[in-house]
Amino acid sequence: MSEGWLLWALLGWPVAGILPCLALRSPRVNLGWTSCVVVAQALLASAVIRAVWIAGSLRMGPVLFVDALSAFHLGVMMIVFVTSTLFAPSYFRHAIESGEFTPWGARRYAALWLGALAAMTLVLLSDNLGLMWVGVEATTLLTAMLIYVHRTPASLEAMWKYLLICSVGVAFAFMGTLLVAAAGRGTQDALTWTHVRKAAGMLDANTLKLGFLFLLVGYGTKAGLAPMHSWLPDAHSQAPAPVSGLFSGFMLSAALYCIMRYVPIVEAATGGTGWSLRLLTFFGVASILVAGAFIVSQRDVKRLLAYSSVEHLGIVALGIGLGKVGLFAALFHTLNHALGKTLAFLCAGRLGQHYGTYDMTRMQGALRASPLWGAGLMICVLALLGAAPFGVFVSEFLIVKAAVEARATWTLVLLLTGLAIIFIGALRHVIGVVYGLPPATPAARRPGPVEVVLVVLPLAALLVLGLWMPDGLRRAIEEAAAVVGGKP
Amino acid sequence: MSLLIESAMVLLVLTNLTLLGLSRLRSCIRVVAVQGIVLGLLPLAAHADDLAPRIILLAGGTVALKGFVFPWMLLRALRVANVRHEVEPIVGYTLSIVIGIAGFGMSLWVGSRLTIPGAAAPPLVLPVALFTILVGLFVIVSRRKALTQVLGYLVLENGMYAFGIVLVGEIPMLVELGVLLDVFVAVLVMGIAIYHISREYDHIDVDELDALRG
Repeated sequence: MSEGWLLWALLGWPVAGILPCLALRSPRVNLGWTSCVVVAQALLASAVIRAVWIAGSLRMGPVLFVDALSAFHLGVMMIVFVTSTLFAPSYFRHAIESGEFTPWGARRYAALWLGALAAMTLVLLSDNLGLMWVGVEATTLLTAMLIYVHRTPASLEAMWKYLLICSVGVAFAFMGTLLVAAAGRGTQDALTWTHVRKAAGMLDANTLKLGFLFLLVGYGTKAGLAPMHSWLPDAHSQAPAPVSGLFSGFMLSAALYCIMRYVPIVEAATGGTGWSLRLLTFFGVASILVAGAFIVSQRDVKRLLAYSSVEHLGIVALGIGLGKVGLFAALFHTLNHALGKTLAFLCAGRLGQHYGTYDMTRMQGALRASPLWGAGLMICVLALLGAAPFGVFVSEFLIVKAAVEARATWTLVLLLTGLAIIFIGALRHVIGVVYGLPPATPAARRPGPVEVVLVVLPLAALLVLGLWMPDGLRRAIEEAAAVVGGKP
Repeated sequence: MSLLIESAMVLLVLTNLTLLGLSRLRSCIRVVAVQGIVLGLLPLAAHADDLAPRIILLAGGTVALKGFVFPWMLLRALRVANVRHEVEPIVGYTLSIVIGIAGFGMSLWVGSRLTIPGAAAPPLVLPVALFTILVGLFVIVSRRKALTQVLGYLVLENGMYAFGIVLVGEIPMLVELGVLLDVFVAVLVMGIAIYHISREYDHIDVDELDALRG
């Protein structure tokens, strides 16, 4: 318990880091400072994860609480944040040199970026379901302005859609939170997760079910589950690459994390009938199929990756819905997806800068024009499509196994159909981008050592996770899965 | 106590229906401001017998934000965008009111079927909260101007607030403040977005923001 102060530090540090951002003049220094803050935050987070690893959970006061599930997501969040923050200087280099990225723009960008980090940390750290909601809504509002960094009409449109659809969606989640509190009327602290979890048997099952429907639609909107995903491809395609990477790599998973918190409560209150799990399965399968339909006819590489996120979040939801092995696979998949998708957006972003377009029919020969980013995109997409021997292959295989074990024949058929359509559809597009002869453009700038490391490290991690699962990670995921799977 | 709450509920219904029939954006903002003040005073009515300082503080904050700060921010955005009227909404005003009344009937019906355990609130609260949420959603989908959509979002938020105050009772102060802060930032960011949309497009008609598809 003595490490409880770490939680305050974790929450306060990014907020404190915002102040210097507002004073720094040079955009480059500002991005450097942001990197320092995020790396320090990652160190703090690893101290928290270590403490949770030893003690099982960590608590500070009545509202801050970290258990295995939030510690696991904290780890994923820091991987995504560190990767995309360190990448930002290289992505914005051209904009800084040309003066498009002004000192004011950089200040705003850095402040909002750290604000988003603080808000997502709040989502993971709060034991209070109301505060968790406050954190999710805050991430929506803080990241909205990040979409509009490149000041184009299209990014403005994307920002407005994101702002409105997600705000209304997340408002539904608030209604759900209130209904859960109403279901627990009479129990103490009807909004504190640890209390509600213990007293789940005493909750009014019908009110709770109604609340869960609202929560699923609300947080599901933010997580990009079909059919509430309409904001997602627009926002992901218009935001600058580091922001798209953050959205896809972690923000969506953070919303799904909120749903995961409610699953054991609803299951315990309804007597373990699997009611909430069936709903998650339904939304999961729907997301995979909808994503498949849009990926086949996609021309914009960032929109393609965005729809692939709808697919992967659907796979995670499906994994939770299947339970047991599926739950383990779902969490493992969250990690794999975060590694692969963040990097894919970063590579696509740099390629897009090189070609001046994200239209895949006009981005030919990326492998020759820009070997590092071209190869990075190709391997990322292959890994995300579930090609062996990368981590995604293992987690998807486990989900298929879970579906077989649960004898969910229709789910299995739809899942495999969806995956096959997406495999063929996406690969066809990306092969066209990577191979072939590049148009006559000036050669790309030689990538610096930081950029090489940023591309190679996540890919190596994905490869290792596909071949060998470290015991520590297995235990961490098993314990996180036990939180969702209903260990009292 | 219940008389006060019920008159507040009647006021909520009236403001909702008025909003559906108005075309002048300035008047729409005023109506939503009145609704915000009524809602801000609701916790005082709900806890009239034991007024704790935190309830007074919360009521004061809500009234100040929803009744004065938001309208001021939105009126500013309106001046910058230089729009006066909601021209040709997707659903006309008369039809909007008719739909609103039908929605109220439906909310009454749903409210009578839905039971919230242990709720001691007057029976009118649940249907009116549901109705306010419905009106908010309807305004968002049936109006063209970005500004009216923000008003719809506020009305939606008001409906949930009414639901929370009366039916859930004890929400920790920290959560309430957090929610209030979020709504404040939401209106702020949406206001900034409206400013940029009006500069970029010369209008704030959201249905013409349709370049991104597929």
